[in-house]
This record gives sequence, structure tokens and C-alpha cells, in this order.
Amino acid sequence: MQMCNLVPVAKTVGANKIVPTISIPYPLGDPGTSREEQWKLRLHRTRVALEALAADVKEQTVFRV
Amino acid sequence: MKLEIGNFYVKDIVFGNELSFKDGILTVEKDEALKFILEDDRITEAELYIAKPGDKIRMCPVKEAIEPRTRLDGRGLFPGYTSELAPAGNGVLHALKNCSVLVVGKHWGGFQDGIIDMSGEGQKLTYFGQLNNIVLVADTNEEFERYEQQKKNDALRRAGHKLAEYIGTCVKELKPEDTDVYETTPMIKRGTEIEKLPSVVYVMQPQSQMEAMGYNDLVYGWDTNHMLPTVMSPTEILDGAIVSGSFMPVSSKWSTYDMQNTPNLRALMDAHGKTINFLGVIMSNLNVALEQKERAALYVAQIAKSLGADGAVVAEEGYGNPDADFVGCLVALEDAGVKTVGVTNESTGRDGHGQPLVTLDEKCDAIVSCGNVGELIELPPMETVLGELQALARDGNSGGWDYDEILGPSVREDGSIILENNGVFCGDQVAGWSPKQMMEF
Amino acid sequence: MKKVILYVNQFFGQIGGEDKAGIEPEIHEGQIGPAMQFAKELSGIAEVTHTIICGDNYMGSNTDEAVETILGMLEGKEMDMFLAGPAFQAGRYTVACGTICKAVKEKYGVPVVTSMNEETPGVDMFKKDMYILKGGNIASKMRKDVKAMANVAKKILAGEPVGPADEEGYFARGIRHQAWRKDGKPASERMMEMLVKKLNGEPFVSELPIPKIDRVPIAPAITNLGEARIALLNTGGIVPVDNPDRIQSASATRWGRYDISGDKVLKGGEYKTIHAGFDPAAADADPNVITPVDALKELLKEGVYGSLHPYFYTTVGTGTTESEAARMAKEIIPFLQEDHVDGCILVST
Repeated sequence: MQMCNLVPVAKTVGANKIVPTISIPYPLGDPGTSREEQWKLRLHRTRVALEALAADVKEQTVFRV
Repeated sequence: MKLEIGNFYVKDIVFGNELSFKDGILTVEKDEALKFILEDDRITEAELYIAKPGDKIRMCPVKEAIEPRTRLDGRGLFPGYTSELAPAGNGVLHALKNCSVLVVGKHWGGFQDGIIDMSGEGQKLTYFGQLNNIVLVADTNEEFERYEQQKKNDALRRAGHKLAEYIGTCVKELKPEDTDVYETTPMIKRGTEIEKLPSVVYVMQPQSQMEAMGYNDLVYGWDTNHMLPTVMSPTEILDGAIVSGSFMPVSSKWSTYDMQNTPNLRALMDAHGKTINFLGVIMSNLNVALEQKERAALYVAQIAKSLGADGAVVAEEGYGNPDADFVGCLVALEDAGVKTVGVTNESTGRDGHGQPLVTLDEKCDAIVSCGNVGELIELPPMETVLGELQALARDGNSGGWDYDEILGPSVREDGSIILENNGVFCGDQVAGWSPKQMMEF
Repeated sequence: MKKVILYVNQFFGQIGGEDKAGIEPEIHEGQIGPAMQFAKELSGIAEVTHTIICGDNYMGSNTDEAVETILGMLEGKEMDMFLAGPAFQAGRYTVACGTICKAVKEKYGVPVVTSMNEETPGVDMFKKDMYILKGGNIASKMRKDVKAMANVAKKILAGEPVGPADEEGYFARGIRHQAWRKDGKPASERMMEMLVKKLNGEPFVSELPIPKIDRVPIAPAITNLGEARIALLNTGGIVPVDNPDRIQSASATRWGRYDISGDKVLKGGEYKTIHAGFDPAAADADPNVITPVDALKELLKEGVYGSLHPYFYTTVGTGTTESEAARMAKEIIPFLQEDHVDGCILVST
């Protein structure tokens, strides 16, 4: 599964399971926010990514975060 | 708005006793010019050279190019950047044509810098191989970025802009050989003859992807990272309202020279009243988060629609993730019913097998494609190098490398080089010069 | 003098028509049929030393045997290039030419050139593997088609670059390079022409035809996440500060893997990004924003998944070509398989 910000890119190259991240330079933690907020976001999206690996999908899927 | 550019065609450049222009010969008084450059105490060393087409000269690392000009009304050339903020796009300019000021690092380069060859196989790789260039080779005390791969190159780029303006003053009092007049009228008051033609906007996506300030293209001195798409007059673009930055792999770069002369814009202005009704420019940008990219595309489509555009041309100053801004913008315009043409370069790799843009959409059915950033280029040694050739290999240039198992380093002991097109200064010429085209093999 | 060998079918090999389409491969010294014209076109550069003839039906029905026999015939022969056809619009013949050219190119590493009409099955089957000239639909185009093949053959034999597909008249091979237009027409003029045509509803040709998107089958879902072994990969260039594998910051051809076993953590100052396509400040300060090792370890503690593969893998995505990326993936996969990894998270920037 792929975690990325540029979902259209992942779709174009044919990734089947996609979990969106928040930007290109810092996919999993905006330095403009507190350490705590960054950690919460990262933990959440990484959890979604793990769960996505266990999800049975029939077509290219962008998971909700 | 009415911008008149009086042209002075430079046939030769020499050093002499006085800054002057006569019979096509530009004379530069070197010591005076250097004194002027060294007024910025960040510049620690500076030297001037002349590089003309056919000269056995290679320049590296080249950082910026500017057309020497002067404003007859005393306003500065680059409002909000090297001169006081003032409206651009109106009035009379005198310009030295076929001539540019190039800025080259005496030692240090980076990701965003490039090479120019003035003769041989490499000459045709960039527009600047065909111009008469005044070359400023200099070093600075900007210790904070000396070993950084990404450099702002602030002192050197500003020095280049000021030098171009300084040199331009020599034609202030002279009568130009000919004059180009760029005139625009209010979009909604053009009369039925013009309004029955299909109306078109030109969408610019200048490089704005650094979140730290000091690297991006500037509009009236404002960092393009901090803006949403807005409407501009084409005459503002041609009159120094926008200056180039210091970030993208350099073959994708639009130097300030390219902005001052944007061939795409001039072609659209030429066609105005003949085949199209050219409405003007939508100044957009390039972003680093999907939401920002989508927001910019949404603004562009809305503005185009509100202006009543039937057609649009979108040009991007970059490749890789900026392709998502580019394709997103083309799709948003097509979805809004605006027939759109894109101008870009591609990244198909050394073997040419790669996917041309990182995102693709079937709605992008009309693309002008100017080059492959990954094209492998080998060039023989050159008699004279201005700057420091090692910068191509040593300093993290986007088209160079210091080590490769198969190809060896980019800079060889005999002075020959091997690089990707990525490292050729403004090589892809998406602003409109490009005689190159992507072709199927 | 370079040496060239030509493949033709039973008809052009002057053995017979449909009734002889079952004949097995034969090799003749010298030139038979089209080989004579090839010899003329290539004279001074190369000689056509042998002609191989095989029945179209035999090649179609006994492909493996036919190919093996022909490869055997070529064993030990001096050969700088292998040619086949031209095959015009004869369906079976085009497939035969493509099949044998591909096999010879793979086995002997010599350049191959053939010619087919665009309406034939051989074109789509083989155009990515070789130069296939755009041929006529009937045999009366023989002279023209042989000449076109010979033009490309001559360039290859002389070590000169072969021009773009449209210029040279071959089917595009899925390869795109920059080239200088003969007319020197700048992008601004091309843009203007395309724009006006598009606005007026007239036909125009895009310089970037949108290719079909590749699809890969969806991997089966992990059935028991609580026991699954997970690996972390990234294209954001996170490496130890000294970049021990010298991964390039753009157009990468190298990758690295770095230990995250036990209680290892990723700290700014010890790890950084060498990706030059974005502002590195955030990832340099905290590499976890690209490689979420801290989050993965927390989720491991929580029991969300079974275990973490002890290395994370890194390359740089900017300007890196598909073929290099695919090669690097193929190099990485055995390490993952060996450690029985069930699922991967790839973070890209």
C-alpha cells in the first residue's frame, strides 16, 4: 500500500491501496503544528495504512483518513 | 495598458573606457561595472567576461539570466525586487537585444544551477548559447548556504539584476532601431470585431514550491508561494513584474530573461485581433500539497470562466510533482468548458521509457512538449571554463553527480562532462523558445 | 564488410504458396528473393550472407521447434544484423517475422529490423521489441519497403543514431526522447497553431499522446493483521546523515536499507532527507514525518500488527525513471521475501 500526498500520481502509476498524507515535504506531520498534533496525525494515518493492508478491495481504493 | 520596448540589437560586446552602445557594439567599462557590483558587501570577489556564440566557453554553475534594459521614466526595472514598488506594464523601455547578463558562481553551485556552452554540440541545448552574454562570475560571503544543495543565491541574483539595469542605462538617451508596442485594452471593452473571436487566457505556473522564503519566483517582490491565482496584464510580465527564483532543476527554469521576453505571451499578443481575443494572464503557481494544488486549479478555472475564456494555455515551470498542478489545472479548465493547450517538458528518463508526466489524464489532449529532463548528454572538453566545472559534480546539481558505477563522475579529468538535461541552464524553454520536441522513437 | 542474414517465408523464399506453408526452416548461402534487393541497398556497407526460409504455418504451429532450429542454424555464423520480411499485410508472416527477430536479438544480441503493414497482428505484438518499418499492404510495395528497412539498417550498421519514428517510418516503440525539429519551429508557434485548431474544432496532433495506464493485480488482503510482518519503504530519501549508499538526490539509481530493529529511533541530526525535490527542513528536523518509525513501533506495542521488518528501505523518487524504480524494487523484494514480510507500507513524497 502507498502513503502519499499526490493521490493523482499514485492513481496514475497504478497503486491499488492509497492512504493520503498531508504534503510532499512532510507527509506525516506539519511542522507548523505542535509535536503532539503531529504525533496524533502520524499515528492515525499509519494505523489506517496498516488496516488498509488487511482490507479486501476489488478496485483501486483511496482510504479515508 | 501600453508598453513600448525600443530595441537596440547587440552585434558585439567589448570592454572599453566607457559604458556605451554604438553601431551595434556594446562597450562595458569593466572597473566601473565591478565597482558597482561590489557595492553589495556580500559580494567578495567579482570578475566580468564576454561570452559570444561560437566562443569556446563553458559556464558553470550558471544561476540567472537577465536582459539589460532601462526605463525612460526613471522607474526601476524590477519593482518590489531591486527597485521600489511601482506599477509595471506601462511606459517606455529601451532594451539591449540578443544580449543577456549571466550570473555564474565563481566556485559554488547547487541543485538549481546549470551549464551553458557557447559552441559545439552543447551550444544548441540552451537559448543562451545563441546570445551575446556579459558574464558576471562572483563569490559571496553567504556562508550559511555555501555547502547547501539548495541555494537562494540571493546576492548573486540581485547583482545580476542590478548589473543588467546598470548596463541598460547606456541606451537611455539613444534612438532605438525599432520598437515593439504591446498594448492591451480592458477585457470587456474591445468591440464586436474582436469579441467575436475566441477568447483566450495564458495561465502561468511559476516555480513557488519552497516554503522557506528566498527561493521562489517573485511577483512585484512577493513570494509566489504566498499567493492564489490572480489576473495580470501580459505587459506587466514583459516589464519585470516577475523575476525568476532559485529552486527547480534548471532545465525547467524560466530565467528572468525568459520572463521579460516570454515567447508564448508574445505569440498570443501577436495573434490577438487576428485569430483570437487574448484576454490576459492568470498568474497561478506550483504547490507542495494536493489541497493547495487543487485550490489553485479551482481558482484558475473560476477566473477563466468568469472572464468568459473559450480557451486557455497553461505552462508549468517544473516537472515531477508540479505535473500534478499542471494536469490538475488543465483538467479543471477542460471541466469548466475551456479548451486548453498545455506547454511542458517531460521526464521519460535516460532510456526514454518512463511515464512522461507523473499524473496523466485523457482530458490533456493538446500538449506542446519541449524536452526530456532525463536525457543523457555528453560534451567534450571546452577551452575556457567560467566558474568552476566541479560544481556540476560536487554540489548536488540536479543533472550532475560525483559518482556513478557505470558512467563515472559528471566531470572528467580531461574537462569533458556527462550530465542529464536537468543540468542545462533553462534548457527546456517551456516559456516558448524551444526548438526541441519530444518525439517517439 | 558487415554481415547480414535475412528471414523470409516460403512464398518470398520462392518455394511455393499456401501448399508449401508447412515447410520446416532451411538455410541457404547467398541471396534468395528479397535478399537480392537488400544486397543492392546495403552494398558497400554489408553483404547478405544467408537467406533463411520457413513456412508460415510451420512457424505458426510449431513455433518453439522452428525458433530453436533457426537459432541453431545461426550458431557460429558471423552476423552483424538480422532482417526479416518485409511481411506486408500477411498476418501469419508478420507474427513469424516478429517472433524470429525477437528470438535472434535475445540470443545473439544483434540488432533486428523488419517491416509490416499497420493492420497486422505482428505490429502490436512486437513493436516495443524492435524496429518495425511501416510497410505496404501488398507485395508490389516490395521495393519501397525493402528500401525503408535498408535505410534504418544502414544507420544501425554504421553506428549512427536512428531518428524519430515518424521521420524514419517505423512504429513507435514506446520510447520518448527529445529531438530537434527539422523546421526549428519554436514551442510558442506550435502552441499557437494547436490552440487555434482546438478552438476551431479542427484536428490537431498533441506532442504528448496520453499513454494507457498500467494496472497491476490487487494483492490479496492480509487475513490476520495481528500476526503480520510489516516492512516500511520510502521514496522520500531518508538516510543516515552520511548517506552511506550515496543515493542520488534526483534521478536515483541506488537504494539503501537501514536498521530499525529493537529500540532504534529516527532522530534529526542522525537521519536526514537527501531528496532534492522539496524543502527538506521538516524531514531533516524529524525524519518520522516521512518514515513513521515512531508510529509503527507504538502500533506494534498496541498489537495492531505482528512484527516489524528490521530495516526500512530508501530511495529518491524525483526524476527516477520507471525502469530504474522497477529494477530497485526487484532488488529489494528478495530481502522482504526472505524475512517473510506479509505487507509493505511505501511512503512517497
